[in-house]
Amino acid sequence: MNANAAAREHPHDAGGREPPREIGQLGMWVFIASEILFFGGLFVAYVYGRSHWPNGFAQASRHTDVVLGTLNTGVLLTSSAVIALAVACAESPAFRRWTARLLWLTAALGVIFIVIKGMEYRKEWHEHLFPGPGFELDAGGAQLFFMLYFVMTALHALHLAIGIVGVSLFAWATGQAKSWAPPRRIDIMALYWHFVDVVWIFLYPLLYLVERHS
Amino acid sequence: MKSYLQEGTTIASWLTTRDHKRIGILFAIAITFFFFIGGAAATVIRLELATPQADLVSNDTYNRLFTAHGVIMVWLFLIPSIPSVLGNFLVPLMIGARDMAFPRLNLTSWYVYMLGGVIVLLALALGGVDTGWTFYTPYSTMFSNSWVAVTLLGVFVVGFSSILTGLNIIVTVHTLRTPGMGWFKLPLFVWAIYATSVILVLATPVLAITTLLVIAERLWQIGVFDPAYGGDPLLFQHLFWFYSHPAVYIMVLPAMGVASEIIPCFARQRIFGYRFMAYAILGIASIGFLVWGHHMFVSGQSVAASMVFSLLSFMVAIPSAIKVFNWTATLYRGSIHFDAPMLYALGFVGLFTVGGLTGLVLASLSLDVHLTDTYFVVSHFHYIMVGGSVMAYFGGLHFWWPKITGRMYADTWARIAAVLIFLGFNLTFFPQYLLGVQGMPRRYHTYPPEFQVLNLLSSSGAVVLAVGYLLPLFYFAWSLRPGGRIAGANPFHATGLEWTTPSPPPKDNFEQLPEPPQEVYGYDPAKDPRHDPARGGAMAAEPVR
Amino acid sequence: MNEREFKRHAFKLLLAWLALLVLMLSSLGSAYLSLGVGNLIAGVAIATVKSSIVALLFMRLARSSATVRLVAVVGIATWLLLAGLSGVDYATRSRQPAAFQLPRQLPSLAPEQEPR
Repeated sequence: MNANAAAREHPHDAGGREPPREIGQLGMWVFIASEILFFGGLFVAYVYGRSHWPNGFAQASRHTDVVLGTLNTGVLLTSSAVIALAVACAESPAFRRWTARLLWLTAALGVIFIVIKGMEYRKEWHEHLFPGPGFELDAGGAQLFFMLYFVMTALHALHLAIGIVGVSLFAWATGQAKSWAPPRRIDIMALYWHFVDVVWIFLYPLLYLVERHS
Repeated sequence: MKSYLQEGTTIASWLTTRDHKRIGILFAIAITFFFFIGGAAATVIRLELATPQADLVSNDTYNRLFTAHGVIMVWLFLIPSIPSVLGNFLVPLMIGARDMAFPRLNLTSWYVYMLGGVIVLLALALGGVDTGWTFYTPYSTMFSNSWVAVTLLGVFVVGFSSILTGLNIIVTVHTLRTPGMGWFKLPLFVWAIYATSVILVLATPVLAITTLLVIAERLWQIGVFDPAYGGDPLLFQHLFWFYSHPAVYIMVLPAMGVASEIIPCFARQRIFGYRFMAYAILGIASIGFLVWGHHMFVSGQSVAASMVFSLLSFMVAIPSAIKVFNWTATLYRGSIHFDAPMLYALGFVGLFTVGGLTGLVLASLSLDVHLTDTYFVVSHFHYIMVGGSVMAYFGGLHFWWPKITGRMYADTWARIAAVLIFLGFNLTFFPQYLLGVQGMPRRYHTYPPEFQVLNLLSSSGAVVLAVGYLLPLFYFAWSLRPGGRIAGANPFHATGLEWTTPSPPPKDNFEQLPEPPQEVYGYDPAKDPRHDPARGGAMAAEPVR
Repeated sequence: MNEREFKRHAFKLLLAWLALLVLMLSSLGSAYLSLGVGNLIAGVAIATVKSSIVALLFMRLARSSATVRLVAVVGIATWLLLAGLSGVDYATRSRQPAAFQLPRQLPSLAPEQEPR
C-alpha cells in the first residue's frame, strides 16, 4: 500500500464515493462461512444418523418424492444461473436493461421451489411421515431421517424465502433505478442466493438418493 | 473540535447512532447491568454455601440460580465484554479508520443483543432454568420442567449479535487499515480481537443450530438427541462444546490483547517477541477448535477420542505459555509503574497462569476422572474467566477510560479496588481447588460438614470481591462530574494510534488520517517520561498530563 | 464489462447450467445402481463438483481476492474438523448391545419402618 501522504486514499474517506467492492463482498463471504457452520451442525447430525442407521435412512429416503425433489433441484440450479446472468447484465452497459427482469425471474423460480416443497410436505403429511406418534415407518432410524429431513429442508426454505424477498427488492429497485441497488450490491445478494443453492445441492443426494436401487 | 460525546445529546441520538464509540458505550452499559444480575445470583449461591445445610434456598431454586449465573455471565457479560465494548471502541481507532466497515450492522448487533438479553430476563422472571448453563440432554430436552426453550431462544438471539460483531471486525481489520499499516504493525489488541472474531463467526453458528435443535425437541419431540428415535444425547455435547470451548478463547484472547497493551506501556518497554505473540494468538484460536472433547472425558466418549483430545489440550497450553513468558520478559529491565491498569494486567497474568496450569491438570485423563464435576473445575474456570478475563476487562476500562471519557479517575481508589479484587478473588476461589481435590461436587447446594471451613473462606472472599467490583462504579462516576480531572490526549504516554487523537475523540476519530508508527511498541525504558529530570527525577505518582 | 466479454461470460454460464443439469441427472441415475458405499461417494462427489461450479464460476471465487478464498476454505475446513473429530469418537466407541431387560425392583435401602 502506498504510504505517500499525498496519495492517501482511505476507503472510508472516499469523499462520498462508493466504498470498494471488497468490503461488502468480504462481509457476505464471512457471513456465508458462518452459515456453513450453521447448516453444518445439521449435516453432522445427518452423518451420525446415516452411519448408525443405514437401513433406516435408506428405507426412509425411498419415501421422499424423487420426482419433485429432482425437479426442485433443477429449478434452483436454473435460478442460480439466472441470477449470475443478472449480475453480468448489471455490470454490462449494453445489457443493463435486462437486470431487473432476470432478477424477477430468479425470485419467481425461488417461489416455484417453495410451492413444490409445500406440495411435498403435504404429501408427506398424508403419508404419516412427520415424526410423532403416528409415524408410518418402523425401521430404526427412519424417524430420525425424517426429523432431519424436515428440519434441514425447512431451514433451507426459510433461507430461500429471505433470499426471495431480498432479490425481489433488488429487482424492484433496479427497475426503478434506485441508487441503493448498484451492481456491486446485486452481486452481494447473488452470493447469498448461490450459497442457498449450494446447500440444496448437498441436501438433494443426501435426502432423496440414499438408496433407490431396490 | 466537538468530541463524539457532544455530537447530539439526546437519547435518540444515542439509540440511532452509527458511531462505533457510542455503540461500545451502549454495550458497556448493557453488560454492566447483566454483570450485576449474574453477580446477584452468585451472591445467593455463596450465601447458601456458607453453611453445609440446605437452609437458604431449595435444591430446585439453587439449580436455577447457578444456571442463571452461568447463562448471564457467559453469554450476556463475558463474551461481549471486551470485544463489543473495548473492541468496538478501539479497533477502528487503533487501525486509523473512521469507523467500522458496517456501522449500521454494528448498531443492529447491539439491538439484537438487547433483544436476546430481554428474552433471557423474561425466562428468568418466569422462573428460570435448572439445567445448568450447559443444557445437557436428555435432561434439558425431556425431563426439565423449566423455561428451557425461552432461555435458549434468548441465547440464540444473543449469539447472532456475536456473529455480526465478529463479522464487522474481521472485515474492518482486513479492509480499513490506514495506508501503510501492515499486519505486523498492528497492536496485539487488534490481533487478539481479530482472532476472537474469527472464532465468533465460526463457532457461534454451531451453538445456534444446537439451541434450535433442543428447542425443537422440547416443543415438537423432534428428537435428534433422543435414543428412542435413533438419536444420541452425546451428539448434543459434541455440538455444544464445539462452540463452548472456543467460546472460552473468545473470553480470554481479548483479555490477552488488553494485557499486551498495558504491560509494555507501564514497563516502558516494547513487547518481547511481538511476532511470536501474534502467532501465539492465531495458534490459540486454531488449536482451541481441536480440544472440545476434554469436557466429555467421562460422558461416554470413546477412550481413543478422549486420548486425542487430551493430547490436543496439552498442545493448546503451549501458545498460552509463550504469551505468559513474553509478558514476563517484557517486564524484565523495564521501568515499571504500578498504576491501576498495570495492577490489573499483572493480576491477569498471574491468575491466568494458575488457571492455565490447573487446566493442564484437568486435561490429564486420569486426573479428570476424579476431578470432573468437582469444585476443582469450578475454580479452574473462574481463575481464567474472572481472575483472567474480568481483571483484564477492568484493566482495559482503567487504561482507556481517559480516552473514552476525557476524564481521569482517582488512581489511588482504583489501585485499592484492584488489590481488593485480587485478594478477594483468591480468597474466594483458591479454597475451591482444595474442595475439589477433596471431592466436593459442583452444582450441589449442600455438602458434608468437613467442607465448611473452606466454603466459609470462599464465601468471605466473595464479600471482599463484591466490594472491589462495586468501587469502580463510584470513582468512575465521580470522574465524570462537572469539574472533574481532564485527561489529555495521552496521559499514560502510550504508543498506539488511539492516543494520537484527542480525549475524547471527535466523531470521525481523526482530523486527518494518521501515519502508522515506525515501530508498533516504540517504548524505551531509558526514556521514561515519568522519570523526567526536569521534574527533579521524582517518579510521578499520578499520570503526567 | 464490454459486450464481447459479456457474451463470453454468458456462454460460460450457459455451459455451466447445462453441466449442472447433466450432473444432477447422473446423480439421480447413479442412485438406481447398486454400488454399496459407492452410492454415497458418487452422490457427495457429484454434489461437490456441482458446488465447485457454482462457487468458482457463479460466485466468481476463482477471480476473488485471496482473503475471500481463504474465508471460504476456512469455513469448509472448520466444518470438516467438527465432523471429523466427532467422528473419531463415534468410530472408536465400543458397542456392547445388551438384550432388552425389564426393569427390576431392587430391595429398598431405607431401614424398615412401621407402616403408617
